[in-house]
Amino acid sequence: MSAKIKLPRFTLFRAWLAVLAVAMAAGLAAAWQVFTRGLVVTNLTDLVPWGLWITIDLSAIAVSAGAFFLCAAVYLLGLKRYQPLARTATFIGLIGYSMAVLCLMLDIGRPDRFWHALVFWNPHSVLWEVTMCVTLYFMVLVMEAAPLFGQAEWLRRRRPRLAALLASVHHFAPVFAVLGLGLSLLHQSSLGATYGVLKARPIWFRPDLSVLFIVSAVAGGLSLTVLASMLSAAFSRRMRVDDSLLDSVAKFIGWVLVGYLYFRFWDAFAMTYTYQPGRTEGLELLTGGALSFNFWAGEIFIGAVLPAFILLNPRWRGNRLFRMAALACVVGGVVAYRWDINMAGQLVLLTYVPQELAVRYTSYVPSLVEFAAGAGVIAYGLMAFTLGVRYLNVVHHAPLSEPEPAGQPTPEPAGAA
Amino acid sequence: MKKSNLLTRREFLKLAGGSAAGLAGLQFLQHLPPLVQKAMASAPVGAGTHRWAMVIDQAKCTGCGYCTKACKAHNDVAPEIAWNRVIYAGKVKDKDVFIARPCMQCQHAPCVEVCPVGASYYRADGIVMMDYDKCIGCRYCEVACPYGARAFNWEAFTGPNPEVPEWGQPEVPRRPRGVVEKCSLCFHRIDRGLAAGQTPGVDPDATPACVVACPVGARKFGDLNDPESEVSKLLANNPSYRLREDLGTGPRVYYLPAREGASA
Repeated sequence: MSAKIKLPRFTLFRAWLAVLAVAMAAGLAAAWQVFTRGLVVTNLTDLVPWGLWITIDLSAIAVSAGAFFLCAAVYLLGLKRYQPLARTATFIGLIGYSMAVLCLMLDIGRPDRFWHALVFWNPHSVLWEVTMCVTLYFMVLVMEAAPLFGQAEWLRRRRPRLAALLASVHHFAPVFAVLGLGLSLLHQSSLGATYGVLKARPIWFRPDLSVLFIVSAVAGGLSLTVLASMLSAAFSRRMRVDDSLLDSVAKFIGWVLVGYLYFRFWDAFAMTYTYQPGRTEGLELLTGGALSFNFWAGEIFIGAVLPAFILLNPRWRGNRLFRMAALACVVGGVVAYRWDINMAGQLVLLTYVPQELAVRYTSYVPSLVEFAAGAGVIAYGLMAFTLGVRYLNVVHHAPLSEPEPAGQPTPEPAGAA
Repeated sequence: MKKSNLLTRREFLKLAGGSAAGLAGLQFLQHLPPLVQKAMASAPVGAGTHRWAMVIDQAKCTGCGYCTKACKAHNDVAPEIAWNRVIYAGKVKDKDVFIARPCMQCQHAPCVEVCPVGASYYRADGIVMMDYDKCIGCRYCEVACPYGARAFNWEAFTGPNPEVPEWGQPEVPRRPRGVVEKCSLCFHRIDRGLAAGQTPGVDPDATPACVVACPVGARKFGDLNDPESEVSKLLANNPSYRLREDLGTGPRVYYLPAREGASA
């Protein structure tokens, strides 16, 4: 092994993996607690039954939205030059959805019955529709990611037949792009509607949540894709990225943020008119109460306004450090938004005692077990992406060598050598 | 017009027709084979011969909480869970007023509508049922219920039930850890009573445990399809209200408000 020169770099890489492994081990220990003792180890209550894990679940799905969006752009709109980015986004999507599944397995009381929604249908339920779409879309992502594995050097050397088979799935990319677009548009917005259909929680009960969820997911998903690509390129000399590609997507994200802020503004503004029990208090919680820092700083200013300014200014955007910071802000803003939405409706309770539609406040701080399990899920995601970058070449913008191959798997430029 | 990627009129109509067919297909979900339908959800409400309702007289209720204890014993409910709560609701002329709150057994129950697996469903007689073998414990119903009538089993209930035997004997199995549970209107008592030829609301053995336990007779239970039942008469002759009627959930639990002059 030519270890002498590579040793320092290897150490950094291994240190990173070690940190992730420790977090994953902590997550496993926490998951063991959850599965053996039950959800009593969380700080969730009957008043706040959805907490940190649901936020991570929603966020993981949101920041996976780059996959459907870029695949649609490449294979349906014919914007072929973004194909390398769609590749990265697909891999991130696969990881993101598997993170969401892990969170849900922790969160539902009967993980042994995770398959029930697929068998016992209640088509009236938004959550049923979300479950079906997420399941089907996960399959689509697996198929879309199959060529990544088929093109991997190590698999082609050891199992050439299997590699060729996996790589050939690429022919169906347009079909999967159509399926992915439909399924994603449905469930990304339905996750907003999951909250939006609940009359019992006035701050949630509004139709805009679906729109805000899909728009913020597109911004967050594209941001994470570009950010992850840039970070990979920054940390490894082998990864080559086409900066003009990343630059133009970053600019597009800027415009998505403007659109998002437009919807968000009218959504919030419309709620301020006339006192409505429960809803007004929920809004106050966001703008001046316990969630206000998260709302103003995390969600609005740092999460959307600031990055919109940076990403729409060609000079600032051209500075890679600025651009990466802005993209990280967008991802953080989407997470903050999911947290705020989930919390605002649960921390404010409307009583049902007549003549006195009083509002009660409750609180929720995740328990150590929740933090550890959540950290474990996130560490798993980072670990999977890191390994993907290294062994599956998921960030690779070198000469576009995958134009409609005819039968044989296209040889991937040997970047990993 | 240039034949570009714009849709022609014919193509547009085809597309529109296809979408309409798709929508029509959705309607077919309503006409699936009975087996699938059974797996999907609930019996048509109102198709049954009975329409159960509970009437709670706040003028009589003293807030003693016997109903809660009887409920916990008969349904073997864990100490940290209460299917039925008694809540202080202010004063009328120096007299304390309470609201006893079982599950409202809503006609349009948010919990039934949101449940992703159909574990919450309607019975033909209007009872909102829980299928504890289907429930996955996602707690969406808990978030959706405007009445806080649902409780999650955060841990397994293994110890002895402190309300047994003083307040009654368990009549239904304990729910496992990880599912959501709620008041069932003691459907098992109703069904057993009907099978034995009794009249729910009249015969104690066929009547929900909370109604039987109430020492002041503040709770009444019966069939709204029977104009001679006590609940039908009470509702016909007294002003009554239901909780959060503005939501349109259509509760089957009615309240006779505390009022001056009415005695406890």
